[in-house]
Amino acid sequence: MKRILRVATREYASTVLTKGFIIGAFVVPAIVTAAIPLIVILTNQAVAPQVKGRIALIDRSQMVAVEVGKRLDLERAEANKKTIEAETAAEAGGDFFERMKQKQLQRVAASTAILTLETIDQATTDDEAKDLIRNDDSSGDDSLVAVIEVDADAVAKPQDQEQFGGYSIYVKPGLDDRNISFIRDAIRGSIKTARYAENGVTASEIEALVTVIGQDTQEVTATGEREGTEVLRLMLPFAFMLLIMISVMIGGQYLLTTTVEEKSSRVVEILLSAISPMQLMSGKILGQMGVGFTIMLIYGGLSGGALLVFGLGDVLSVQSVVLLVVYFVLAYSMIASLLAAVGSAVNDLREAQALQTPVMMFTMLPYLFWMPISRDPNSTLAVVLSFIPPINPFVMIMRVTSTAPPPMWQIVGSLVTATLGAWFCLWIAAKVFRVGLLMFGKPPNLATLIKWIRMA
Amino acid sequence: MSDAIVMEQLTKRFGAKTAVDAMDLTLPTGALYGFIGPNGAGKTTTIRMIMSILFPDAGRLSVLGKASATESKDRIGYLPEERGVYRKMKVSAFLRHMGTLKGVTGQTLKTRVDDWLERVELASVAKKKCEELSKGMQQKVQFIASVLHEPELIILDEPFSGLDPVSTRLLRSLITEQHAQGRTIIFSTHVMAHAEELCDRIVMINQGKKVLDGTMDEIRAQYTARSILFNPLDEASGLDAARALPEIESVEPRDATFEATVHPDTDPQQVMLKLLTAVPSRTIAVRRPTLEDVFVEIVTTNSGGVKDESALRAELRGEGQREEITEEAGS
Repeated sequence: MKRILRVATREYASTVLTKGFIIGAFVVPAIVTAAIPLIVILTNQAVAPQVKGRIALIDRSQMVAVEVGKRLDLERAEANKKTIEAETAAEAGGDFFERMKQKQLQRVAASTAILTLETIDQATTDDEAKDLIRNDDSSGDDSLVAVIEVDADAVAKPQDQEQFGGYSIYVKPGLDDRNISFIRDAIRGSIKTARYAENGVTASEIEALVTVIGQDTQEVTATGEREGTEVLRLMLPFAFMLLIMISVMIGGQYLLTTTVEEKSSRVVEILLSAISPMQLMSGKILGQMGVGFTIMLIYGGLSGGALLVFGLGDVLSVQSVVLLVVYFVLAYSMIASLLAAVGSAVNDLREAQALQTPVMMFTMLPYLFWMPISRDPNSTLAVVLSFIPPINPFVMIMRVTSTAPPPMWQIVGSLVTATLGAWFCLWIAAKVFRVGLLMFGKPPNLATLIKWIRMA
Repeated sequence: MSDAIVMEQLTKRFGAKTAVDAMDLTLPTGALYGFIGPNGAGKTTTIRMIMSILFPDAGRLSVLGKASATESKDRIGYLPEERGVYRKMKVSAFLRHMGTLKGVTGQTLKTRVDDWLERVELASVAKKKCEELSKGMQQKVQFIASVLHEPELIILDEPFSGLDPVSTRLLRSLITEQHAQGRTIIFSTHVMAHAEELCDRIVMINQGKKVLDGTMDEIRAQYTARSILFNPLDEASGLDAARALPEIESVEPRDATFEATVHPDTDPQQVMLKLLTAVPSRTIAVRRPTLEDVFVEIVTTNSGGVKDESALRAELRGEGQREEITEEAGS
């Protein structure tokens, strides 16, 4: 046992203390986490270039021109107000984020378009309107930025007509999309206001009619009510499953790699002079289980910490965390021992690809079952899959953390079948491992592997 | 004194191929034994069975008084033919790891690692990664790993392969030293010269069978000398005169001298005197048969002259192309 632990310690240390592992496990998630606010800042930093010029309006409805003019001026006035406010606030101080926010407002406000509206003859055709833009050779404040054409029936329509008319907008090339939406907002708002006036209602009345206020869902449990964090409840089984999957895959992949390396660097027979193949395999499996567990601790710890910070700690139960560890050990034992067998049978990593694919498939399958199982955790499919190794640890952790946990007998049943599965995988792996380690040359196919299992 | 290793009718098959065929062998404690034979003769398979890395299909085996080496691994030092190091591990860390696996711990382990590295002049690279070492240096490290736990029985599988002459000499002196300390040593080689220089006992294996087993002197006595090396003063007349003698079968140049093969039923000593009278020579000597001669004779006789003698000799001198020894499970 001491030697198994010695092998395990070396295996763990030689994996965890590599640059690759540290970068993969710590640095990359750290960078991603740090990058999110950075991306937000960068996105907000960029404001649309300020545009100045004229807008030509062909108002065939004869009911919106005034409103459009008002709105453009109003926006401008509003922007000016914001600029002044922001400047004052920025000067007044406040914390870093507050100042950042004010600066940002200031920038947005300062970039608001300065547009003058002119109304042109209703008789102007579409083509003539387009030509106006095309032929405009003025520059700066005088340049024609857009021509807007409001349909005759945009505000008032005949009784038998089902829909109102709308508007068209022609813009000069290269106009920023944020400036276009600014103009569109103004025109759409103006048409709506005109329609309300025409029908004798106000905007606030309409708003009140279309708004329905609903409380957050409350889950009624034995102990009382709690806020139903629906999305979280759907994501939780997935997160638990993903945690096991990632930990198993990383630990298993390292196990495969180090086994192939030990074999191809011919260090393996030196090791076998001191320990038996079974001791070597057990030590390696144990060591990489530690690696998988470390991964689980890092990611699980971070996610759990985040839940606690946001006051959602009560979605985690002690039972689910304990089962997470137990199911990880079982899932890992099955997948990893098969990968150890693959590693011992081949000469290099390239050869390992073909043989490891079916094993890796087992870890991908739960992905497929995530939606059906988290929607209906007690469906026949879910219950049946709970007893089929090697995917039952993944399935069961999803069910256990779902809103409708399975009965105790199913949990026990899954633990029993998974333990049997793990024992069976280890048994097969031990046989292949013993024979495979000293075989060099042609990589084995499935038939050869079965022969090895019989032989050992 | 008890026997270190006893094999009775030991057999190992890989599919249709029988790698080791009903081997009977007894190795007395304290002997320096050579396992010799061409590539693929079954040396490595025999050694792996001794080490309990492979298990025999039939027969009985006893290692250091135990039924299998698994019970006495800490008392055996093993340098496999297929050997390597953890490339990313530091030299001293690798040795300490191997020592721990063999049951040496604490301060003893540290002292031994340092002492050994000092002795093979590798103290300066103790903190370097194994991959930074030359192949010869790595071989030394692997040798240390096999003797670090001061085993009673040391098994070295092709220890000299890939070594330069200086390292070969160092390793040879280390082996002699271990032997002088009373340890039983087995080493296998396909280069006969190495065995001849070192061993006091030889086992010759060919096609999975033991074909010869005895001390060097016994073997030499059994295979009497049949050739005389001489250097005539006058080459032109001298060679003709030598060929004219009825006791001499043939005269062929050999290295810088000439080799006269005598008839099997004559006494080489007498023929030498006659030859010296007939052909005045600068030097003359009866050549003792080398292991290579013995081996070639056995193999060619057994195979009915099918084996190409010169190719075989080239292989036994380590000149032939080394084949990767693979054991395919019969596919």
